[in-house]
Amino acid sequence: MLHHPQPHTFQLEVTINGELVQREIPTHLRLLDFLREDLGLTGSKEVCGEGECGACTIILNGQTVNSCLILAVEVHGAFIVTIEGLADTQELTEMQKSFEDHHAVQCGYCIPGMVLTGEKLLDRHPHPTRDEIKYELSGNICRCTGYHKIIDAIQRAADDRG
Amino acid sequence: MQFYQPTSMREFIELSSSLSDEFATFLAGGTDLLPRYERGQAMPDHLIDLKKLSDLYHINIKDDVIQIGALTSIQVIQEKPLFQSEFMALHMAAHDFAGAQIRHRGTIGGNIVNASPAGDLLPALYAFGAVLTLIGPDGERQLPIQDFVLGPGKTALKQNEILVTINLERTPYKSTFHKVGLRQSMAISVANLAFVYSEKNGVFDYLKIAAGAVAPTIVTLDKLTSTILDNTSTPEDWPLLIEADISPIDDIRATAKYRKQVVNNLVQAFLRRELTV
Ligand SMILES: Cc1cc2nc3c(=O)[nH]c(=O)nc-3n(C[C@H](O)[C@H](O)[C@H](O)COP(=O)(O)OP(=O)(O)OC[C@H]3O[C@@H](n4cnc5c(N)ncnc54)[C@H](O)[C@@H]3O)c2cc1C
Ligand code: FES
Ligand code: FES
Repeated sequence: MLHHPQPHTFQLEVTINGELVQREIPTHLRLLDFLREDLGLTGSKEVCGEGECGACTIILNGQTVNSCLILAVEVHGAFIVTIEGLADTQELTEMQKSFEDHHAVQCGYCIPGMVLTGEKLLDRHPHPTRDEIKYELSGNICRCTGYHKIIDAIQRAADDRG
Repeated sequence: MQFYQPTSMREFIELSSSLSDEFATFLAGGTDLLPRYERGQAMPDHLIDLKKLSDLYHINIKDDVIQIGALTSIQVIQEKPLFQSEFMALHMAAHDFAGAQIRHRGTIGGNIVNASPAGDLLPALYAFGAVLTLIGPDGERQLPIQDFVLGPGKTALKQNEILVTINLERTPYKSTFHKVGLRQSMAISVANLAFVYSEKNGVFDYLKIAAGAVAPTIVTLDKLTSTILDNTSTPEDWPLLIEADISPIDDIRATAKYRKQVVNNLVQAFLRRELTV
């Protein structure tokens, strides 16, 4: 949470997971807090709050970003996808299924960020090498799995997409 | 905190002039700024977001120069083929920069204005002789990058002036970049080095080396390179010539001694490879 002694408000309009959201917010509110506290979208996690770990990763206008390093006012007019909006239906995406199949999830805290990063990684490299996956995942820290199973899961999701 | 998003340079100039007595801060990608607020630094009363200034995203490729808008992201510098073909050291620095989320958001302008001694794009920009275009209430001016960066976190920007363009001369020179950190990615550089050069049959006819994280600002190793170019030094002289231009310190990431050794090793490895001495 950030603070300012003289709060000002802003009329925010932003499309989140396909729905237009309109809210009055303080200008110093972080996007991560807006998602979690105001909208109840708690899939995006906070761990470091400083851009180091990737637990708060969301997709902003088509690119992965750390929502802890963005103010909500900055995304006025933007399009955001969070882990909650990844699958259009209640079904899991191939990527999410692949994480499950490979037992790539332990405590789960890093996983929303890993899955979103994995999805966007496949847009950039449809047939990624292991090294490409490691490079693209370097902004996402996992303290449980040791990464191998996460990399396996992303590689398999790529193979399944063909 | 008042938040502003000017959408044209004219609007920006009007706004910054009207705030000339106030404490205003500029926001680009926020990857340096937001962590400071998270660590408890007071947020400003006026925050001016530059991201709606569309001119600041342009990359103009002219015959003799390329003009890079200050809001160009690290990711764009990494991906755009132009940088890989003509400014390899800059491409490599962007490639080794943080993780994808930070590269998407962080900008070249933010990296320069942040003026960190370890800023990863800076050695390449020094070695290529970047010239910066600044715009403020008093108009436009140009400064070479080494006159712009004054010390850690300190620049020659006047109040309410912004960096708009980074100008790089197009040359036939080759270039390369090395970063040493405590791990491969997501680590602040312990030392970083850019080399811009041209070499024929084991003789350099152009050589510029810039080093980061070994002095309060980036330094160019001019004592070394000038004596190599006019052939007045031998490999035995190199270590002292290198050390003459750097002044590293001890910090939590490395000791001064280690930094000195790393720069020596990397520079000498480069020279020996190119000259095959
Ligand atoms: C997890 C993490 C990893 C990082 N890894 C690296 C790394 O590997 N290498 C590296 O060099 N850096 C790294 N950084 C630092 C940072 O990402 C870079 O310095 C980045 O280039 C800053 O750009 P920005 O647009 O986000 O700057 P901002 O945070 O928006 O701004 C930085 C400063 O510059 C000013 N400013 C920005 N643009 C302008 C302009 N056009 N005119 C006038 N003033 C301006 C702002 O007012 C502020 O003072 C990292 C940061 C984080 C959080
Ligand atoms: S909580 Fe945002 S990167 Fe760690
Ligand atoms: S599964 Fe626990 S941090 Fe990754």
